[in-house]
Amino acid sequence: MGFLTILKKLRQKEKEMRILMLGLDNAGKTTILKRFNGEPIDTISPTLGFNIKTLEHKGYKLNIWDVGGQKSLRSYWKNYFESTDGVAWVVDSADARRLADCARELHSLLREERLAGATLLVLANKADLPGALTLQEIREALDLDSIKTHHWRIVRCSAVTGENLLDGMDWMLDDIASRIFTLD
Amino acid sequence: MSDRNSVLERLSRRDAQRLEKLQKAHKAREEVDASNENEDFFSGAFKIRSEYIEQLLSQIPTLETSVLTAHFDNIKREVNELQKYVVTSSFFLKEFNMRKYLGIVQNLQSKCYELEDQYVPRKKFGFTRKKIPKSDNQKHNLDEHDGVDKIDSNKWDDKLFGFDSLEGKVLLLENDVLFQRDVTMRNLKNCTIGLKGVMGTLHLTNLDNCIVLSGPVTSSVFIEKCTNCKIVTACQQLRMHTSTKCDIYLHVTSKGIVEDCMEIRTAPYNLRYEDLEKHFNMSSLDKNNNNWDNLDDFNWLAPDVPSPNWSILDVKGRVNDWSEWWSKIPL
Repeated sequence: MGFLTILKKLRQKEKEMRILMLGLDNAGKTTILKRFNGEPIDTISPTLGFNIKTLEHKGYKLNIWDVGGQKSLRSYWKNYFESTDGVAWVVDSADARRLADCARELHSLLREERLAGATLLVLANKADLPGALTLQEIREALDLDSIKTHHWRIVRCSAVTGENLLDGMDWMLDDIASRIFTLD
Repeated sequence: MSDRNSVLERLSRRDAQRLEKLQKAHKAREEVDASNENEDFFSGAFKIRSEYIEQLLSQIPTLETSVLTAHFDNIKREVNELQKYVVTSSFFLKEFNMRKYLGIVQNLQSKCYELEDQYVPRKKFGFTRKKIPKSDNQKHNLDEHDGVDKIDSNKWDDKLFGFDSLEGKVLLLENDVLFQRDVTMRNLKNCTIGLKGVMGTLHLTNLDNCIVLSGPVTSSVFIEKCTNCKIVTACQQLRMHTSTKCDIYLHVTSKGIVEDCMEIRTAPYNLRYEDLEKHFNMSSLDKNNNNWDNLDDFNWLAPDVPSPNWSILDVKGRVNDWSEWWSKIPL
């Protein structure tokens, strides 16, 4: 390996983050991703497979993977775990019916060894809808306070209005950065 | 004369003061400018330390297994120290050199990990073994939580807006109560449900032999565990799970999907009521864009063979006019 290649690799490694967006179907993962990327959000179909977007934010190169949340796709989530720096877990705040499902999937995800050390951002999406649960209710239903294995935070947000999306993402990036780029 | 002397004396005293001050300042500068904080000294010290690590790495093949773990720990500590040294010296290093030194550290680090994988692979295995009982334990806890969560979700039932657990009824809601809400219809049997308004989302769960006549839904319609139903709805997304024998008269502007469904038939949306046009405008759904005849089946991923789980409802079998159905209880 040439000297320049080492430098280049180091450089790239320093600035790249891999973020996995997961959650039940209809939570709004793709909508959040598109909103981030400034794409129209009114023509989004249920995700059959996955979407990947590479974007620049705060000087980092983010590879965001948005994997479909339908029941039949959840068994494929594990194929995306490798070298993930952060998990954005998207929750439909208005869907109280499936919060128990949501909690079960989240906690089984956190037991995954390949995700050990990844930062967890819980995005309580659709918070702008009438009938949406409060942050505290979601926090309790998902039993977030029992999570000791990952750095986590929950934020209320809305992919449609864009509210709080950046705040949440910035926290996650800072948390990841402080863990893996301490040299900067 | 004495005047002259005193002036001279004053001048020489002043000169001595000045010299003293200069010397002090010079001394202070010397103290700050520690001789070891320059690139030459750094590169020398760096060389000694990195060569020491190289030497430790080269010893690995000759060492006994019992001391290897401690040896690797030692190397990692040395590498970390060296990395810290480079980083804390960043204020006097040129950026290019800084990168060079960090590159060398990185190289040592990866060499160390490579060798560790090669010589102490057992460590990884031990880690997994230790974890198994722990995760079993967690699983157990989670099951307990599950029970709690289920009770909790009952707690939120009063937050749901719609109808629950009814049989043989005609249920009608208008736009003033429906507007942009998350509407739920659950556990209904032999019911006709009329929804003349714009909704945010619509959830239909566990319906048996029901007729659902719905105005436009701004985001998604979610159908789950429904059998023998006729559903007329317009939305941006349709998600249909674990349902059988349903006819969907559909307007969908992006895509509809089915999962774990059987005998689903689709037809174009053909509902008429007085304010429908107005409601369509309020929902901002595109009336000219309808993908009712193109569902994705998540259990059927072959692109060239059509899914056996859904089909297009034959024109002759379709209901063309729903006006009589609003008030009729299904048999």
